[in-house]
Amino acid sequence: MSQNPATGSVVVSDWHRCKDGKEYFNKILHRKKRKIFGLLESPVMPPHVAVDTVHYKIFLTGKSGVGKTALAARLTGRNIPNVHYETTGVETTVVFWPVKLRDSGRVLFLRLQLWDCGENALRRFDHLLPSCKEQVDAVLFLFSFTDRTSFDDLPNQISKWTEESAGRLVKLVVGTKFDLFMHCDVAQRDVRDFQETWRLPVLRVGGEVSNGLDDVSPLLNCLAEQLWHHDCVTAGSVGLQQETVTLL
Amino acid sequence: MMLQDGSTQLLCLTASSGVPLFTRGASKQLPFSVIGSLNGVHMFGGGQGVVLSGCETEGGGKVVWRVFQDSVMLIAVNGGGQGGVGCSREEEVRLQRLLENVWNCMVLVLGQDELANIRNVERLKRDLRSCFGLIDQMLEERQEGVLGSLTHCADLLLPPNPTLLQEAVDGFAEAADSEFGCLIIHGRIAAATEKWWRLAPQEVVLLSALIRSLSDSASASCDYPVFLPHGSPTVAHRLLRFQLLPGADVCVLCGPSPSLHTAETGLVGRFWAPLVETLRDCLAVGERCVPQAVNLRPDVLALLLINRETRRSVSSVLHPLADAPPPSKARCWELLKLFYIFSTTRYFTQEESVCVSTEESGPRGRANDFARGFSHQPLQCYLVTEECKSYALQTPQHQLFLLFPPSVPTFVLRTAATQTLSDVVAATGL
Ligand SMILES: Nc1nc2c(ncn2[C@@H]2O[C@H](COP(=O)(O)OP(=O)(O)O)[C@@H](O)[C@H]2O)c(=O)[nH]1
Ligand SMILES: [Mg+2]
Repeated sequence: MSQNPATGSVVVSDWHRCKDGKEYFNKILHRKKRKIFGLLESPVMPPHVAVDTVHYKIFLTGKSGVGKTALAARLTGRNIPNVHYETTGVETTVVFWPVKLRDSGRVLFLRLQLWDCGENALRRFDHLLPSCKEQVDAVLFLFSFTDRTSFDDLPNQISKWTEESAGRLVKLVVGTKFDLFMHCDVAQRDVRDFQETWRLPVLRVGGEVSNGLDDVSPLLNCLAEQLWHHDCVTAGSVGLQQETVTLL
Repeated sequence: MMLQDGSTQLLCLTASSGVPLFTRGASKQLPFSVIGSLNGVHMFGGGQGVVLSGCETEGGGKVVWRVFQDSVMLIAVNGGGQGGVGCSREEEVRLQRLLENVWNCMVLVLGQDELANIRNVERLKRDLRSCFGLIDQMLEERQEGVLGSLTHCADLLLPPNPTLLQEAVDGFAEAADSEFGCLIIHGRIAAATEKWWRLAPQEVVLLSALIRSLSDSASASCDYPVFLPHGSPTVAHRLLRFQLLPGADVCVLCGPSPSLHTAETGLVGRFWAPLVETLRDCLAVGERCVPQAVNLRPDVLALLLINRETRRSVSSVLHPLADAPPPSKARCWELLKLFYIFSTTRYFTQEESVCVSTEESGPRGRANDFARGFSHQPLQCYLVTEECKSYALQTPQHQLFLLFPPSVPTFVLRTAATQTLSDVVAATGL
């Protein structure tokens, strides 16, 4: 598997703050809040601004209560539930996210579909995991900063997926509940060590959901970067997507 | 009573040994000793050959008990007092319904086997946590204007263009290898396949509630294993749900295939993309649930129409003026529910109505005694209170419940009700 791209090397970071990004980000907002899209809807740009939409399927994994459902809500700008209700099946959430490729200046809409399945449901019903794995592009491994065991279990989880997928997958680690520093059970040094050993990006989330895009942009841009880079490497090897091959 | 006024607490214990499985509702929990006594007094009755199904405290509190499958005991406790709605008979009916609904939620998520044959209590306790989302929804009765959990009739939204939607639901379900398909708009059924309507009424209502809670979470699609409390309590089916537009969800109940991914990428767009505008028209009907084209008398505040044969209903609170005098919209929904319970426990007491439960140890007794005092079956009834005037009428096929402002002369009510019934039925075919 190729080296992970450095942050900000593939897509423009903080593009949502740039003037030229505005018209695109406006399409995912409605009255200053995040717009909710049904399956029949997508951001529509005026005809002269043709933008391709790239679809990705992303699976969220981590033990019950770690914050999978909350992360999906956070990434679509919805409030996170303060009571923990077990997710009793598979729920998917769609996030549209515009990115600007650094080298070509080309703009893309990513359609990220997050697949979230409760751990208990996975255990009780055999058909759910295969359904989550079907044509999946990326896995987000979640651990909670307030739960050491969820962190310690990461290597185990990651190797399970690595064996099966043989490098076809983009992998990212997300530490949740970073806001609860009073109850923090995972030291920053441990996270650094982990990152060096596994060479995977680790992102941190936590706190109230705000209406702005600042909270979610690091995670979504990082994910976008990994996915696009991965696609280019794959495409490069079979000679597709000329313009992006030059980018490598 | 140790509960706050008006709040309801739900207790679940094993029937055989009284081990607490969970409690829900009410911020202030009942002490363990009280829970133990509530279980004890029921057991004592059992030993004497008496089924204790409900009791009332001096302060207006209510307790109802019910054992399911000889395995699980559910107890609902209401603090009574100011916040409590209606009088004690209405409250008891409400609580009995609640227990039945909660049990159905438990079966829906976990299946009957695990509940009826408890092998490992600790494991069951953990698994039961999966039901809390739905159970809390039943306790809170969050969504205004959805009465199905009380009436056990499906809440409908009558679309302006039913034929197109019906064809799409039928075609979509068939393509998904399913006979059970349903389109839900604002939490109410706008179209469903023939087979969906053959599910038990409680199941239709329960699935609608599940879909509502999933729809509220704004997720795009779901694959949920569900057991059907009546039709398939031991074998799970898959409920696939797709959010077409915010507030518009289509669902199918199916077997092992198709996968969620396949159905979503292959079928959703094909069947529904051509109907986006039709769906938007349907969403525009909104909470009124009855298309604007159906003319309702301006003096009707709220209505609930039930088709007794098909177990379908439509309800609506009509507030034409923004600064309308009280009762408020929320209060109208409350009053409509109370008047429904009032009428069905005292006058319209048939098989399907609330007071006669088909399962063991349901609330019978006094309500029926009252009805037996009549030599005939009442067809109409009315109630005049300070807040509003209410009128109900029933025919072999329908029941209609209406609220009017107090200013409407009482002698007009009957004519208004009869006219509304024929207008709505003629316009909607319900
Ligand atoms: N403070 C804080 N709480 C969180 C965060 N993420 C999740 N939670 C809480 O953790 C609990 C479990 O989250 P949930 O997403 O339902 O867990 P899941 O079982 O992995 O889906 C919920 O009560 C959330 O409110 C976070 O980033 N910060
Ligand atoms: Mg969850």
